Amino acid sequence: MAEKVLMKGNEAIGEAAIQAGCQCFFGYPITPQTEVAAYMSRRMPKIGRVFLQAESEVAAINMVYGAAGSGVRVMTSSSSPGVSLKQEGISYIAGAELPCVIINIVRGGPGLGGIQPAQSDYFQATKGGGHGDYRLVVYAPSSVQEMVDLIQDAFDVADIYRNPVMVMGDGMLGQMMEPVEFKEREAKQLPSKADWAATGLHGRKEHHVINSLFLQPEELEKHNEKLQKKYAEIEKNEVKYEMYNCDGDLDIVLVSYGTVSRICKNVIKMLAKEGLKVGLIRPITLWPFPKKAFEEVVDRTKYGFLSVELSCGQMVEDIELSVKGRKPVNFFGRSGGMVPSPTEIANKVKEIAGGAR
Amino acid sequence: MPNLKELSAKKVRLTGGHRMCAGCGAPMVVNWVLKALKDEQKAVISNATGCLEVSTCLYPYTAWKDSWVHTAFENAAATGSGVEAAYRAMKRKGTLKDDYKFIAFGGDGGTYDIGLQSLSGAMERGHDLLYVCYDNGAYMNTGIQRSSATPMGADTTTSPAGKVKPGKQQYRKDLAEIMVSHHIPYVAQTVPVIPGTPYMFDLCNKAEKAFSIEGPKFMNVLTPCPRGWRIDTATELEVIKAAVDTCFWPLYEVENGVYKINYIPKEKKPITEWLKPQGRFKHLFKPENEHIIKMIQEEVDRRWEKLLYLAKVK
Repeated sequence: MAEKVLMKGNEAIGEAAIQAGCQCFFGYPITPQTEVAAYMSRRMPKIGRVFLQAESEVAAINMVYGAAGSGVRVMTSSSSPGVSLKQEGISYIAGAELPCVIINIVRGGPGLGGIQPAQSDYFQATKGGGHGDYRLVVYAPSSVQEMVDLIQDAFDVADIYRNPVMVMGDGMLGQMMEPVEFKEREAKQLPSKADWAATGLHGRKEHHVINSLFLQPEELEKHNEKLQKKYAEIEKNEVKYEMYNCDGDLDIVLVSYGTVSRICKNVIKMLAKEGLKVGLIRPITLWPFPKKAFEEVVDRTKYGFLSVELSCGQMVEDIELSVKGRKPVNFFGRSGGMVPSPTEIANKVKEIAGGAR
Repeated sequence: MPNLKELSAKKVRLTGGHRMCAGCGAPMVVNWVLKALKDEQKAVISNATGCLEVSTCLYPYTAWKDSWVHTAFENAAATGSGVEAAYRAMKRKGTLKDDYKFIAFGGDGGTYDIGLQSLSGAMERGHDLLYVCYDNGAYMNTGIQRSSATPMGADTTTSPAGKVKPGKQQYRKDLAEIMVSHHIPYVAQTVPVIPGTPYMFDLCNKAEKAFSIEGPKFMNVLTPCPRGWRIDTATELEVIKAAVDTCFWPLYEVENGVYKINYIPKEKKPITEWLKPQGRFKHLFKPENEHIIKMIQEEVDRRWEKLLYLAKVK
């Protein structure tokens, strides 16, 4: 077992990427994720890897395109307004099928918004923030430890599917300190990049072409079909979620991810004392969304589901598509950087369940 | 030459009570620029993201007495362009009678880096806009990250001085010269008002001249940041004086393509006078980094000689 160290979320992100073999990091300052770039600027040169500060988020994501095209592990990180700027590049990267990891330490929006934690980039991350028919795998860790583990998974999943992967934490996860362990990881069998990476001809006759331009509609449609097939594979293989306190008959099941899911666990303990049986579905992948988790509990849940978010109901429709009208789907959220107290959430649960038992 | 008494009596257009740090140079620069307006003149100010924007307008509070607008980081010049274009349309149609001055303020991150595209666009299209960059040589708002205005060798949180790299590896971008290449009517480089210097009112004079010219104008103002420069607030203007005296930051203007150096030091001081007082350059004075100081000196000399040539001083 590796040693446990106390680390700030943003710095742990940097170290996790390094441990996962990230060769290049391209950053740009924006609160509340700037410490990722600062950490990488200290560590990367020491181990002979690349840290570059771009002149904008647009430049940073296109540097990622360049490095990913040459087949190295590459990461960038930003926060909501910066991730908005990156969307064009992310669409190109998805279109050209390049693996990379994008960190979004979400702050409140829209517009300039604020700098406190939020989850209001759910739509942007899961529904395709840029143009075109594409998907990102989106991980939503709920602790610094899980963030570290998921970043390492993210690099593998990006390589396996040749697809950008986003790790989305809220500002709270980036800024708080928690004990974290960088575990020894089993070496995964990953597909070789030798058949597509643009690393020079080395005696080959055929060029490797990295491209997202298909002017013939027939060709572009074929390319899109190929992408859709890949996304279907991802939906089959990469869904991750946690079910907490979901055994037996349930009054209500909370659905929440990230920081808020931890508050929800407290709510469940609080309400158990008041005779309410409350479960939690915690999506770890926001896309692909863990639809099957709902199948396991939908028939055993008396009053249905409650989406608890740091946003204004952005996850509700994914829950509805999973529940398919069989039970009611309710919503409780705070936004703008407000984080709900356990009591607030518990009151909402009691309101739906018609009071404590 | 303006009269200090008169200037002091003028309307304060960026009021106190904002949340800029003690000793911050930016509000000082803004106020001296705005003092170059006549009290009765109206202004519309667009502001790039940065310390100045975030600390002076915490909605619903504002320290600004003029109309003020902020959009995303990279867009101060674009937003200013839009407002100015709308103003011209209103003037043409006769729906607006009053005259307005258009000013954009941005730090070096928002001007040299992410905002360069919109700045260049605004200057090329020829909007009647004065863009003022308060250049404190790093992204101070997010906690001191290097920018393309950061001087070579400076220690920042993303160009940290350590065993592998001795701070920032590149020379600073010469933004004033980039603006000169836009062939706009007026480009100036200056420093805050420093009492007792021969160039005390250089900033005011230049702002006044800029406001008298129609079309796009650009001013670059070296602005102290005690936090980022690691200096005592009480000495910050001495440090700025050193930047002028070492010719690290020459005071000059280019009016319709004609260069004029506004102050030529009698005796050009060695660059160490500018570097030494600042904590961000501390590591350069270790024996193993002597060569970097030499390189910085050579680059300062090279740029100064070029400026003397352009201004036909010799």
